[in-house]
Amino acid sequence: MTTAASTTPIADIALLLEGTYPFVRGGVSSWVHQIISGLPEFRFAVIFIGGEPSLYGKAQYQFPANVSHFETHYLLDNSQHTPKARKGDPAAFADMAALHEQMRANPGEGNALSMTDMLKAFTTLGGPGGISKSDFLFSEASYDYVSEQYRQRCTEPSFVDYFWAVRTMHTPLFVLADIARKLPPVRMVHSISTGYAGLLGAMIRLQRNIPFALTEHGIYTKERKIDLAQATWIRDHNDDVSNTLHDEMGYIRGLWIKFFEQIGRIAYSQAEPIVSLYEGNRLRQIADGALAERTQVITNGINLQRYATALQKRPDGIPPVLGLIGRIVPIKDIKTFVRMMRVVVNERPDAEGWLIGPEDEDPAYVQECKDLVESLGLQHNVKFLGFQNVAEILPQLGLMMLTSISEALPLVLLEAFASGVPCVATDVGSCRELIEGSTPEDKALGSAGAVVTIADPESTAQAALALLNDPVRWQAAQQAGLKRVEKYYDDRMMFGAYRELYQQTLAGAVAGAGQTAEC
Amino acid sequence: MAGIGFEIRRILERDSFFAVLKAYGYAGLISGGPWVLSILGVMAIGLLSVALGAEQQAVNQFQICVTYLMACSLILTGGMQLMFTRFVADRLYAHEPRIVLPNLLGALLLTTAVSALLSALFVLLTFDGSAFLQVLLIANFVVVCNLWLVLIFLSGMKAYQRIVRTLAAGYLLAILVSMLLAPFELEGLLTGILVGHAGLLFAFLHHVVREYPGQSLLRFDFLDRRKAFYSLFAMGVLYNLAVWVDKFIFWFVPYTSEAIIGPLRASIIYDLPIFLAYLFILPGMAVFLVRMEADFAEQYDRFYRAVREGDTLMHIEYRKDQMVYTARQGIYEIFKVQGLTVVLCLLWGRDLLQAIGISPLYIHLFYIDVVAVSVQVLLMAILNVMFYLDARREVLMLSVVFLLTNIVFTWATLLLGAETFGYGFALSVTLTAFLGFFVLARKLRRLEYETFMLQR
Repeated sequence: MTTAASTTPIADIALLLEGTYPFVRGGVSSWVHQIISGLPEFRFAVIFIGGEPSLYGKAQYQFPANVSHFETHYLLDNSQHTPKARKGDPAAFADMAALHEQMRANPGEGNALSMTDMLKAFTTLGGPGGISKSDFLFSEASYDYVSEQYRQRCTEPSFVDYFWAVRTMHTPLFVLADIARKLPPVRMVHSISTGYAGLLGAMIRLQRNIPFALTEHGIYTKERKIDLAQATWIRDHNDDVSNTLHDEMGYIRGLWIKFFEQIGRIAYSQAEPIVSLYEGNRLRQIADGALAERTQVITNGINLQRYATALQKRPDGIPPVLGLIGRIVPIKDIKTFVRMMRVVVNERPDAEGWLIGPEDEDPAYVQECKDLVESLGLQHNVKFLGFQNVAEILPQLGLMMLTSISEALPLVLLEAFASGVPCVATDVGSCRELIEGSTPEDKALGSAGAVVTIADPESTAQAALALLNDPVRWQAAQQAGLKRVEKYYDDRMMFGAYRELYQQTLAGAVAGAGQTAEC
Repeated sequence: MAGIGFEIRRILERDSFFAVLKAYGYAGLISGGPWVLSILGVMAIGLLSVALGAEQQAVNQFQICVTYLMACSLILTGGMQLMFTRFVADRLYAHEPRIVLPNLLGALLLTTAVSALLSALFVLLTFDGSAFLQVLLIANFVVVCNLWLVLIFLSGMKAYQRIVRTLAAGYLLAILVSMLLAPFELEGLLTGILVGHAGLLFAFLHHVVREYPGQSLLRFDFLDRRKAFYSLFAMGVLYNLAVWVDKFIFWFVPYTSEAIIGPLRASIIYDLPIFLAYLFILPGMAVFLVRMEADFAEQYDRFYRAVREGDTLMHIEYRKDQMVYTARQGIYEIFKVQGLTVVLCLLWGRDLLQAIGISPLYIHLFYIDVVAVSVQVLLMAILNVMFYLDARREVLMLSVVFLLTNIVFTWATLLLGAETFGYGFALSVTLTAFLGFFVLARKLRRLEYETFMLQR
């Protein structure tokens, strides 16, 4: 019999946040803040999981009053553990070896592990009868296992690289197991990504039998694959001459990818519901192992009132200004925007291209973009404005441009729609759904701009010019955008959807708990 | 810091009998040098001054003073020697050679201050000789303390011929000045050895300054907790204490010793054989320099390069096997060459003692001492490998065992009687060396594990 104090939940929902809210500004963090503020009837616990303490500064957001608990954890912080020789428990390492054997036996196919195996693995991880973090980091048994695996499997030469990859990959698991054990009682957990946060959600779900909801903005596993493909900290040992385009990926890169795929599958196997921002991502989740019947789409929404003023401030006519709102980084493909401007200016010498967004993330890329502006002779037409208040900039734009090579559900498009600015965007993420509509009813509203292929300055320019030079089409696109954002992307609808999701999930938990009690 | 070992190994590659002799000759002189040469020098000064008509008593006093100077300075600076050697090696590895000289000057300043203070306190409180004698003793102590510190750089230097010439010149100078001043008895002889040691100190300091230009005058980074290893200090002090503790016991137990000068006592029966025996470690020390310093350092370097630069585990293990093989070969060669030395001493020891006028009564003590100091060379080789592997805890443990067993066993021999004298030290050093073998074997067996899993 436990005391009331230890079983009274300190919050309704524990949000599991990996590397975002409240320390790092960005789309996901703003969304989290929006959800917490928009649903004051629920109490939230904020569980932040970071890499190393040095990577994060002060909190960037002020918690709303309904945040009742806050924890910060660092996955790669080993400062509490001083190296000391130890043997390591052979039985625990044998169990761990068997577990890995099982995961290897059916790779990529659904869930490699049964619920009981997973529960046992998580309970013993860093706990009684299992491998402790010190054993993992410092024991002879641990070294023997790692070196044995290297001998049997690693096809890359560098042992030191393999060794550190395995160490860095697994250290976080011990921290997660510890968080799962010590988290004060909550009624459900909600992870805002798969990855380590999703794995933590699965651990808590298995150990405490409370509901675990998962919302993905991007697709974590896919993003990690892109990161890993580009990571320079992983040495590839094929020589430069034979190095074709990742024809043969290095073993260590492959190891990381398999690791993230595996923990992604574990999260999908335990989460319900599994929420994505738009249909494309929902299908991707199913392809990655999520059960279709557990998935659902809840799109992002924006506060329409805030942009109503921007709409009122709009001048008559179409300003020949093409704006791109976003950080000046390669994933936004700013260079395509600049090249597109060359084509536009050839036909409309009065046209201007505005780049609105912070330039501090990748200074080398910013410089390359500025050099490109100069070499194309666009100094008078393309302007780098830095970070600006979006609501004030939007009325001055004639078109909103988005040349990104990857996006999820870009809020800037919704903001542009609400302010009466038609959009030209690349066919990534949910951009096509936003501009052309998803359901037949939605599509009937018409196109709010144009969708173009990525890295294609010529056709992007033609699409932009077609709108700029044709006031009738432009007006139609403006109206379609306004109607669409009002009908489908009002944040009140998003709050409603999440309110319902939380209520149902929490009610289901009570019913579920009742059932287990009856058994 | 095995520069000189590499240079000498190059002579060996000429592959002629004469080249081998020459190489090991140099190696022996340099590695055993200051230690052995000072014993030889002091003996030579003694014999010559007696021949020149100085009083035997003054010569005895002189020899005992120098022995105490050596013992106390080695114990006092043993810690700083180890700590500073490591500091210099780390700084050179971190490509900061310009920080070495200012720190050496800092260390010398500190050593001078501490040694002057301690020796002044001791000499002024316990010696009632002339003020000049008191000053001479203090000055001699300060100079040898500093000399040991500068000699750290010897094995890192490449100009071995110049080093040997400098050593020879220094001791010749000491002998010459002592002979000239022999009429002034003890004071004269002490002045001679002071001039010789001071000459060596400044000559070697000159070499160091030329080799490591500094960026500033004085620095004390070697005391910085983040850059220094104070545990090395403890090891240095304990090891040197262990080497000398049996001698001190014999000096201060009344029935094995007699007062010589002031508070200094000597043990005629114990001292002569052991110091004579130390002359016979030269062959082992020569092998030590070439095999352990040069060969092992090279293999050690290759092993860690394989680890750092991303070699396969199989290659890392191959490199370790090569390193272990080199260490084993080195120890084995020391064993062989010292074994042969022991055999030769057993054959000709009696004639040798007779030739230099030492009573054949000492012969058994001499035999066991030759065995003991030979094993001590092995122990040094083992400790050297451990220092390379950064096995500080293990070295500290061995130093403590060495010290404690030497005290206990030496004490036991005093109780057991004169025929067992010398066996205490021999047994202690043998036991420590054996323990060292096992500890080293374990360390090497677990080397990859410790290298990867236990780094900070």
